Amino acid sequence: MKYYCRHCDKHWTYRIKTCIFCGNATQELVETEHSVIGYTQVHVPSKGHEDVPYFAYLLQDSDGNKMIKKSFNQYQIGELMPLEGIQKHHKEKIGIVGSGLLGFGIAEHLLRFDYPTIIKTRSEANVKKLFAKMNERLLRSSTPDQAQIPLSNLAVSAGYEDLEACDIIIEAAPEDIEIKKGIFEVLSETCGKKTIFATNTSSLSIDKLSKSCDRPQQFIGMHFFNPVSRMDLVEVVLGQHTSSATKAEIVRLSVAIQKKPIIVKNTPGFIVNRLLMPQINEAVALLENEVASKEDIDSAVKLGLNHPMGPLALADLIGIDTCVLILETLCNDLSCQYYKPNKLLYDMIKEGELGQKTGKGFYTYP
Amino acid sequence: MYVSGIARTKFGTLAADLPELAYDAMCRALEDGRKSISDINAIFVSSFLCGPLNRQLHLNSVVASLLPGIHIPIIRIESACASSSAAFNQALCSLNAFDTVMVVGAEKMTSSNSLDQTAAIAMASDRSLDQQEGLNFPAGFALVAQQYMRKYKTSHEILEQISFINHENANSNPLAHFFHKRVTMDMIKNSPMIASPLNLFDCSPISDGAAAIVLSREKRTVRDVRVVSAQFATDSISIAQRTDLTSFEATKIAARKAYDQAHIRPKVIDALELHDCFTISELIALEDLGFCSKGEAAKLVREGSILNGGALPVNTDGGLIGSGHPIGATGLAQIFEIVTQLREEAGSRQLERVHTGMTHNIGGTGGSAAVTILSRC
Repeated sequence: MKYYCRHCDKHWTYRIKTCIFCGNATQELVETEHSVIGYTQVHVPSKGHEDVPYFAYLLQDSDGNKMIKKSFNQYQIGELMPLEGIQKHHKEKIGIVGSGLLGFGIAEHLLRFDYPTIIKTRSEANVKKLFAKMNERLLRSSTPDQAQIPLSNLAVSAGYEDLEACDIIIEAAPEDIEIKKGIFEVLSETCGKKTIFATNTSSLSIDKLSKSCDRPQQFIGMHFFNPVSRMDLVEVVLGQHTSSATKAEIVRLSVAIQKKPIIVKNTPGFIVNRLLMPQINEAVALLENEVASKEDIDSAVKLGLNHPMGPLALADLIGIDTCVLILETLCNDLSCQYYKPNKLLYDMIKEGELGQKTGKGFYTYP
Repeated sequence: MYVSGIARTKFGTLAADLPELAYDAMCRALEDGRKSISDINAIFVSSFLCGPLNRQLHLNSVVASLLPGIHIPIIRIESACASSSAAFNQALCSLNAFDTVMVVGAEKMTSSNSLDQTAAIAMASDRSLDQQEGLNFPAGFALVAQQYMRKYKTSHEILEQISFINHENANSNPLAHFFHKRVTMDMIKNSPMIASPLNLFDCSPISDGAAAIVLSREKRTVRDVRVVSAQFATDSISIAQRTDLTSFEATKIAARKAYDQAHIRPKVIDALELHDCFTISELIALEDLGFCSKGEAAKLVREGSILNGGALPVNTDGGLIGSGHPIGATGLAQIFEIVTQLREEAGSRQLERVHTGMTHNIGGTGGSAAVTILSRC
């Protein structure tokens, strides 16, 4: 953001519309290319920048305007630096398939970083509702630090044809391999040849899913966590055929929206769920065997393992049905009974106690 | 205008809280100046981080609570690391209306965790241009250091020497953060990287502490020291808003005005307390204050000019690096040292033939700067 008064030759890096020296209107300068003129590798963490080391770059454009830019990537002095996350132009167009908790959250996060975003939802009736909901969300969380986030970057559609021109599709449909496969079959026909297909699956095999599309090299896992705005991790999951260009593109997008991408080869449950789901299952076993109360099990994990949430409360947040689906996948794909969901989980599903979304899981949610 | 009373607490990790620190410094400054609290017409209080780190604002009223029934005007002034110099300048201005005023600077930093401390100190830089891009305080000066080292072909070795000298000076100042800790060249060279190219010992420590000064319109005792000139200047807050990173415009302007006001040239200065929040800022200050030309400060250091006994003794108390940097008290601590030297009360670190001294205190990465010249009457 650069404003300039050509009468007085004064520059501002704030939204200044009138020059205080001469009273004339200022003009906004469009940022051109920036090259690196200095950098420091920062090893000391601070609130908001806990993840170290990172680089703080001193950049300068051809007019001598400078800016500071944080990045985890290394650039050399003299190199041009791409400014994703700052520049409003040339952002990839991103399609989100699915308007559930995660799909909506990913879309909201992308809008905050000025990405043109299309949500594909199942019914026409949803279109208006989703617009209104997004408007409310963006307004509610706008802090003085953030400029107002335009809703103009959002499109919502009930048809696949609007996804044709997207650069990247992030599929966030229900965790059912047949549903997902169906979606990628349609997308293969609708989307341009260059479009990357990313799936937000939390446990399904990237390689199995990629068989349903016409471009396995451009197929990849991009696993976000709920709530997207607060969870910094993205699991980037590589299938057998995923190309390095596709991987680089998804890593770059993750960093540009201030997420921390980690790379994992296709494996059941990837990293997070492979570690988490057995823990939830064990917690359920402890509860089933009446070893301890649900509150005490959760307190033990919170205070003894320093997790922000206990496993039973977390299972409620994720959804009991989703937990069972992931556990079953782990059980089948790893051919190991250790991952078999405990009986209590099936009982809860039978009773419709699916967690926060139904108002009752291990805990009740008014 | 005269400095009549001075005091500072020990700097370092202290048990006292913010009000206790301020109270201690005020009591002892009054005692040093043979004044009673009822002689004081107004108080200027400075603290940089009492809001974010101590969850305490309205500090002027806290000071009023320390002085029950006094009800005089008390005002808090903040200008990042130059807070107490800004308060000192305002106090001087107020002597048009008052006879005797007090300035007190206090900071309580060590009770917070380092994530909060680093983020809070970064508040001296621009919120959106710097802080949100991860430019914490060491990182800002690391960029400055890198630009300086590239422009003047300087190696990190000269910064190590500056660190060594300041830490060594602190060993003869019982109130210094590093009084008891001997820092060897080996420790400096092997200290961990903070923000390249700056290592741990390139940085001033996080300290608690307070300092206070009593200012009078008239000279009353032989121990009074004259404020020959005091100047305060500002500049844009972010280094991204500057043309040259290897020099601080605010320092240059404040120094030029201070010399003009005092009708002296730099060579007259016998003792200098300069703002070495990081080693690199010592090099830049020596140049900006006119003690050598641009790019020549390393030579002054190498030749030993800045040592006690050299032509221009610098930071005899250990500077920010050795004495400590309780941010809101730092500028007053610098004046404390110069006044102590001018009164010839500096004990084992006393300089010979000191007539005129200078302090230099900057806020943030040079967004504000104060230069003060003091002399024996």
